[in-house]
Formats: sequence, structure tokens, C-alpha cells
Amino acid sequence: MRGLIDRLRGVERDIVQAPDAAQGPYYEPQGSEMAIFEAAWRRRLPVMLKGPTGCGKTRFLEHMAHRLGRPLVSVSCHEDLTSADLVGRFLLDGESTVWQDGPLTRAVKAGAICYLDEIVEARTDSTVIIHPLTDHRRRLPLEKRGLEIEAHEDFLLVISYNPGYQTVLKDLKPSTKQRFVAIDFHYPSAEIEARILQNEVEGLDADLAARLVAVAHKARALKDHGLDEASSTRSLVYAASLIVAGLDLMEAGEAALISPLTDDVDLAMALREIVKAHLIAA
Amino acid sequence: MTETPEVRLALVLDELKELSFVAHRDLTAALPAIEPYGAQAVARWAQTGRDLFLHDRDGGKAFLRASPRLAQEVGAIEVWVEQARGFLTFRGSWKALTAYLAGLPEAVRVLGAEDARRWADVGIAWARRYPEGGAVFFETKVADLADGRGFAGVQEVLDPLAALADERALPPTLALAGAIKVRALLGAPALGAWLTRGADILKAGRLRGETYFRLEGPDSDEALMAALPGFRTAEHERFLMLVTHAALSLSPMLAPAGLAPGTNPFIETDGRTLFVPPAFPTREQALAALLHHAGHLRFGTYDEGAITRLFAAAGMAHPPLDADQRVTWRPLFALFGADLLRFQVLFDLCEDFRIDARIQALMPNHAARLLALATTRPEGPAAPYFDLACAGLHMLAGRAPATALWAALAAPDADLVTSWTKARALYDPLTLPALTLADRDAAYLPGRSPNHARPVYPRAPSRSQAPESDVGADGGGRAEAKATQPAPVSAGHDPDMELAPEDTSGSGGRVGVGRPQPAVTTARRRRLRPPGEGLPYPEWDYREKTYRRDWARVLERDLTERDLACARTLLANHAPVLGRLKRAIQAEKPRRLAPQRRRTEGEELDLDATVDYVVDRRTGARPAPRIYRERRALRRDTGVLLLADLSTSIMQQAADGEGRVVDRMKAALLLFAHALEEVGDSYAIAGFASKYRDAVSFYPIKDFNRPLTTETEAILGGLSGRLATRMGAAIRHACVRFGESPAARRLLLILSDGRPADYDDGGDERYLHEDTRMAVKEAADQGIHVFCITLDAAGAAYLERIFGRGHYLVIDRLDDLPRRLPQAYLRLRKGA
Repeated sequence: MRGLIDRLRGVERDIVQAPDAAQGPYYEPQGSEMAIFEAAWRRRLPVMLKGPTGCGKTRFLEHMAHRLGRPLVSVSCHEDLTSADLVGRFLLDGESTVWQDGPLTRAVKAGAICYLDEIVEARTDSTVIIHPLTDHRRRLPLEKRGLEIEAHEDFLLVISYNPGYQTVLKDLKPSTKQRFVAIDFHYPSAEIEARILQNEVEGLDADLAARLVAVAHKARALKDHGLDEASSTRSLVYAASLIVAGLDLMEAGEAALISPLTDDVDLAMALREIVKAHLIAA
Repeated sequence: MTETPEVRLALVLDELKELSFVAHRDLTAALPAIEPYGAQAVARWAQTGRDLFLHDRDGGKAFLRASPRLAQEVGAIEVWVEQARGFLTFRGSWKALTAYLAGLPEAVRVLGAEDARRWADVGIAWARRYPEGGAVFFETKVADLADGRGFAGVQEVLDPLAALADERALPPTLALAGAIKVRALLGAPALGAWLTRGADILKAGRLRGETYFRLEGPDSDEALMAALPGFRTAEHERFLMLVTHAALSLSPMLAPAGLAPGTNPFIETDGRTLFVPPAFPTREQALAALLHHAGHLRFGTYDEGAITRLFAAAGMAHPPLDADQRVTWRPLFALFGADLLRFQVLFDLCEDFRIDARIQALMPNHAARLLALATTRPEGPAAPYFDLACAGLHMLAGRAPATALWAALAAPDADLVTSWTKARALYDPLTLPALTLADRDAAYLPGRSPNHARPVYPRAPSRSQAPESDVGADGGGRAEAKATQPAPVSAGHDPDMELAPEDTSGSGGRVGVGRPQPAVTTARRRRLRPPGEGLPYPEWDYREKTYRRDWARVLERDLTERDLACARTLLANHAPVLGRLKRAIQAEKPRRLAPQRRRTEGEELDLDATVDYVVDRRTGARPAPRIYRERRALRRDTGVLLLADLSTSIMQQAADGEGRVVDRMKAALLLFAHALEEVGDSYAIAGFASKYRDAVSFYPIKDFNRPLTTETEAILGGLSGRLATRMGAAIRHACVRFGESPAARRLLLILSDGRPADYDDGGDERYLHEDTRMAVKEAADQGIHVFCITLDAAGAAYLERIFGRGHYLVIDRLDDLPRRLPQAYLRLRKGA
């Protein structure tokens, strides 16, 4: 019955949600990142996740939130994101105004982990408002209401940051960066990445997983040769999913590993050679 | 004539006896061979001999001496006797006649008697125009001319030659040998275009044209490459490099090797650079070859340590080095004496297999690709080598079980010495046949090449790949390395190249490997910059109505001169002008950075709008909820790039005032910059100059997203002129720079003092004009308006054609420039 209503009305869920104890998101640790995060969490130190797109930053955080039993509020930052979008704004209701908390304010009050994904994309005014939250004050000022919100004792701020991806013009201020504990992420080693693939994609055999990983490792060598973003673990998962869903190997490679990565003809041709070498040969 | 043939013969004999002992003797000697053809023929022949002798002694003697052979091999004496009489009609004919008599038997064999006559008619016509030309024609091998298709093949070459001789007065003799080779290389249809191009070049310079027709020099290379069939490496260099980099984490430098028509496309290396042939038959072969040879660099064929161990294994203490510190291979192979080719092929075979095994581990389709290419098994002694190589690959591809030999070479610790040892083991039993140089090439599988064709710079051990991949980033360092390095060998700089392969004594580098290279050309030849330096841009060739691919290369450079004092002085001198300009600008300054009101969404409520909204609601209206305020800055929508021509001519003394042209330009640019700061539009300033098509310098002075600094002013103050004006390439590059500007309306403002020209335009003004016109058109297609401000009083004559009506401004009073340049922009900005 509930399922039917959900289907008809769509599922609306509040952004602050306690994690579902039963289904923990899968995460394959690559190093000491879990230990660092847990230590930071114990001392409520804000955390910065650094690493290229699709290497598992978001998944890691979901996993950790679940592990720590805290709700996770994610905000994907974009260049038009202002402080009002994070903190909240007055809305008109009939003839009076009402204040509506933004996601950051909600998280601060509820003691959630607030994740600002790709924070550099946001306007500078929004990066400044997080400063008082990240030091000993742990407060969020609401200028428009003349209030200050004391953070819930379980509140934790996490940002992600992808160095190199942004232009020089768009970089986090050093004063912002140094307020965080940084955890570096890289693409996982071949062995771990193959394991991730097999875990994420049911029915993927070990040989194909290894071959897909080999493709990604070669493609990553082309970063800085015109490829802005290398093949990510996520795109490998997509490719594997397409293959398991019955798509031809080359077509899956084209759709998940080549086309999304580049519009450059030479580069696409080179990637195609790499995909062909590993998926078609043997 | 009433005398009988016998009488006529006797008369000729008598006459010659009087005239010349030698001629009489030759005629008497030849007589028995001619006599079977009947008295009439003999008399006619003898008279012809005499006439030719009287016309030109050498010609006559050659005729008489060649006659017995012709009578025997050709027969049909009437035909060639009559044709020989054709040589009586012009002076100095002996050389052509001699060549005709020598070439006729072959012509008859190849073409048949009837077509041989037509062939000779053409030759005589050539000789009549220019006797030397007839000799060239008759000395050309008929078999090459016919190309196995009889007279049709001959016509294929001769017809376009004749057409060009008529149309452009191209001397056919000059082009004949080249035309035959070009047909072999590119096919008959390409011949016309090749000849036309050559005729144009010949007009531009005799020496250059001759070099072109010898298929030497850059002009020829370019013309041939443009029409070359197959997979052209220059066009796909980036693709090949990307695959190599991805597969082997190595980006070797590539350099073009010369054109070698009709031979296997081999890649050669000097241990640093791969010399790549201009084209491969297929993309697959190009890929396989590039991966294979990059593999040699990556997996230690040329590593210093491996080479030392190799020479130690061969019983030599030190690898011999030449003057450039390159290892020369000759002594190594000299151990094998006359049988060196057999060993060399075996050594390469083992080493190639070792490398391919390593590549296979990284690119699992490598062996399969090589096998797919190895479709044509050669005949003769090369065949067993070919089979052996294939057997190895079959094992690599998992289609055959491993034997001890292949397993040893594929072992992870195998190195160059392993290949040497295994090759020795294969060499000794003499089971494989000896090879000649002609057979050798066929013994290599497609994609592989002789590994020791050039002396090599030993490589540091391949563990440290980092410096290799950084080469691209470190442009300065590479340029330096380049300078100390001898030029690539195709120009014939390697003295070993000229040595006959058989000559294996001595200690040089080349040992029966590689292929003969063309001799040094006599024409002035400038080596192009190596590919990869500078950004390539196409250029429009109005004669061919096509783009020349990657023709011009633009290098971004920084201006080094700084003169802040000069800039300050100029600004002070023009302070009144600047003041007026600023006031004018302020008067019509756009409103900027205003918060946008009455939006449907925004950061906060717009109070006025909200009150209105509430009032409206109360009075029963249904107002639109535009009650938010958005603090978004209005986007500046005009961007301008000022491109200044920095050619030598700006250093001239100004005609109508004090100082030089460049001083007014400096002032104009400074005022322009300050005016633009006031206006607030996004703007950039750059200069350009050129020297030849491969060195168009683009000097960014101020970028769109940088503020105006004293540094910028100092650069403007220190401007000076240099070199020439290749405007098209500069415009194309400037259009690319517009990518940095956020503006929707884009204006490219060119400040010039003369017409587009460069050192290598061959005096053809129109060429660069047309190219600039195309570049302007391309800019317009990208939504960039191009406007030219010129100081050339005669500019109106050509600027309208290049930029279009109303898209240029001639400032004929130099003193006006500083004032009028910013004004011109402001006017354009309004109108745009």
C-alpha cells in the first residue's frame, strides 16, 4: 500500500534523515581514511575530502555517516549558489514573511553531517559564512534574523574539493582551506578497484573487471594530455553495468568510458584503441 | 633520282671515303648487318648515315655504330632510318640521337614497334624544341614510363607534361623523372596538381623549382604529403602519441622522416626521437609500428647499460661513440662479415619479439594486431624469417604453445643481451638462407623495422621515466637539447648514410641498414621547426582553393623589453587627450553592478516590490510575485582584443612628424588601455610578428582577465618592431584567445601599418592577402567582428578586399593615432 502511494505521489523525504541501520552503503577502504575521519569526528573537526571526480568521496561520506549513525545533509554547490541558499531566506506567506531554514541551518540544528560538495563552485560569500562554524565557536550567524545558532554537539561540516579541476581563478582561499582536516583520495589500486567493480555490479566476472580496470589505468595516463577528468571508478561501474545488462563490450566502453570523457576526436580515438585492446582482444 | 640503289650506295661510300676515314670504316662495318633488308633500304640507310654525319659528325657516327644492333634487335629498318632523319632538322642533335638509338630496342620490347614509333615522335618533338631535352627523354627508361601499361602508361605521364608546357611554359624535361616517381607514389590523377604546383614554384625561383622536381626540399615534401595516400602520420600524430602515452606511459618525440617512395614504411630512431615515415598503408600498421618502436625506447633496446653489456658480450670493451656521443653499431655487425644481414635480421627478430612480448602485457591486442597485418608472405629468402617472426607472435597471441626460444625472450628478465645470445644460436646452424639488401626489408613484419639504422644516443635506464614525460612541459630545455642535436638524417647529414651498405670496414655506424637517403639539395633549404613547437593553424591557398593543413605555426612568446619611463612620458604628453576621452566615456558609462529588482527569485525580498505586491493583493488584483532582489552584476557584454602588428616597418621614422611610428603606436595603445579601463569592457592586447610560416610569434601583452598593471604599461612602453606580418595566422590565434573573454559581443581590432607579407610568400602578395581574408571570414563565423586600423595611406587599395567595406579605417595622419584609436573603438562599440 505504502509503495503504491509512493509511486503515485513520488517520495518526499526530509533532507535530514537518520541513516537506515539495515542498508549500509558499500565502501572499500583504500588506506587510513576511515581512521582519520573517525578521529576528526570524535573531536568534531571539520573535514575536507580532496580528490578527483568519481573516486568515491561521496560514497565514503555516506558510508561514514551510516557507520557513525548520523544523518547526512548533502548540498551540491554550483556557481549561483549564494549564502541564502545555504542559510535560509524569508519567504512571503500571505501578507507576512516567514523564515525558512536552508540546508546548512537545518543540519547545524539537527546535529547532522553537512556535506558541501565542490565548495569552490559556490560564490565566495557562501564560503565565508562557514568560517565561524569551523572553528571553536561552532556557530552559524543568521544576519537577516539577527540570530546566531549554536551548532548541535554532533554537527560536523565536511567539504569536498577537487584540486586541479578548477581554474586558478577559482580556488579556495588559504584561510578557508586551513580550517579543515584534509583526507586525500585517489583512484583505488587495480586490485581494490576490481573488487569494487565486482561488488557494485552483480554478475561481473573477475576477468572482465580486471580488464576494465586496466582500461581505466591507461586512460588515466592521458590526464593532462587533453583529458580534464580521467576515467573514474564511477564510470567503470557504469561500463560494467552496461555490459552486464547485455550491451556489446565496445558499445558499453564507448558509452561509459569514452563519450562522457571527451569531445576531442583524437583523444576519443586513442581511448577507443585502449578500450579495444583490453576488451576485444584475447 | 634515276640511279639504282647500288649506285647510290657506291656514291655514299665514295663520298664518305673522301670525308672521313672513321665514318667510312663504321659504315663498311655495319653494312653486312643491313644488307639482308634489300638494296633500296641499304641505300636509304647509307644516305641517312651520310646526311647525319654531314649534319653533325658525332650523330652520324653514333647512327652508323648503332645500326647493326638495331637491325638485329629491332628489325624494321625503314622505320628507324626515317625517324633518325628527323634529327636532321635541328642543330646539336647528336646527344638526343645517341640516346634515341640506345633506347629504341627497349622501347620496341616494351611498347611494340608501332607505339615505339609514337614514343620516338614525342622525343624528337622534345629534342626539336631543346636538343638536351630530347636526350633526357630518350634516356628515361621506357619501362618506368609505361609502368606496365604500354603506351597508355606513357601518355599518362606525357599528356599532363605537354599540357603544363603549353599552359605555364614548364620545361617538360625538368619534370619528367620526378613525374614518373610521383605517379608511382600517388597515382596518375595526382600528377596534374603536382606539376601545376611545381610550375608555380619554378616561377617563384628557378633553383627552388628544380629542387622541387627532383623531389627534394620542403616544397616537394609538402606537396607530396598533401596528396599522399594511406594513413598520414603528421595528421594523426597526436592520436598516435596519445595511444602510446596511455599504453606505455611514454611520449617519445616524433620527427618526420623523408619520403621514400615504394619502400616499406620503417620507423627509425636515434634513441631519443622516432623518425616516422610520412604515411603508413593503414591506421593499424601505424599504430602497431608506433607502439612497437616506443616499446624499444621503453623496454631498453637503447638503454646505456644494455648496450654496454651487449658490446661486452660481443667481446668489445666500450661501445664506440661518434662525435655526438652516439653509439655506432658498425663494429658489432662487422663481426659477421659478409653474412651480416642474416645476423642482423635474426638479432632484430629476437629483440623485436622481446619488445612485443612486453607490449603485449600492456596492450593485449598487440600481437594479434601485428599478425593481422602480416598477410603477405614474401617470396624468396626472406620468407623463412617472416615465418619465424610470425611463429613468435602466434605464441604471444596464445595461438601456439611456447617453445624454449620464445619463452626465454618473453621472460621478464630478458634484455638486449638475451636477444643477442638467442640470435647467435639461430645464426650459427646456417639453417636460414643468406639475405641480400633487397630481400632484407621483406623479412620484417609490417610494423617492425631494422633497429640499428642510426647511431643512437644511449638512454638512461628506463626506470626513470619522469624526465621523459616531462619533456613536453619543459619547452626551453628541449629547445636547447634540440640545438645540440644534429639535424634529422633525411637531409643527408649523417655521413654514414652515403656509404655503400656493402662497405663494412671501418668503424662507422650504419651497417647495411636503413635505406639510401636523397643527396643534399642545392637549393636554399630551411628546416622547419619540429612538430609540436607552436600551435598549428591552416592557411588558405587561393591557387589551390584549399586550406594547407597545419601550415602556419604560432608561438606564444613574452615580450622582454620593458620601458616604464617611456610609458609614463607618453601618458604625460597625452594627458589632455586622455582626460577628454575619460570624460566622454563617463558621460555615457553603462550602469553596472546594480542589484536587479522585482525578480521572481533572489536572495532577499525587495521591500518596495513587496509592499506594492501586498497593496495590489489587498485591492483585489492578482499581481505577479516579482518581489525578490537579486544582487547579480550585469554581465559586461563587449570584449575587445587589440592585435598590434609589430613588424619591422613600425621602426621607421614617421613621415609627417617627429619620432618613429612605433612611438605613436605605444601612445595609442596606452591611451586605449586606459580608456578601456574607464569603460570597463573586458579587453586584451597582443602583438604579432612572423618569420616564415613556422614561426609566427604572438605576444600576449594583456590578457582579458588580468588588470592593467604598471608591468603592462612597461611592456607597452618598450614595444619595438621585428620581422614580418603574417596576419592570417595571428588572427586565427587571436580568435582562440577570445575563449578567455566572457563577453558576448567580440571585437578583434587590428592595428597595422602595412599589408600582410612574410619572408616566404615568394613575392606573391595575393597569397597572404587571400589567407587573411579567409581568416577574417572564419572569425566572423565564430561571431567575432574584425576591424582593421591602418597607418598605411595606401591601405584602402587592399583592405576593403580583405576586411570588407566599412571594416577598416585608414589613419593617414600619424599624430592622430593616439587620439583616434580609442575613439574608433568607442564608436564601434556603440554601433556594434
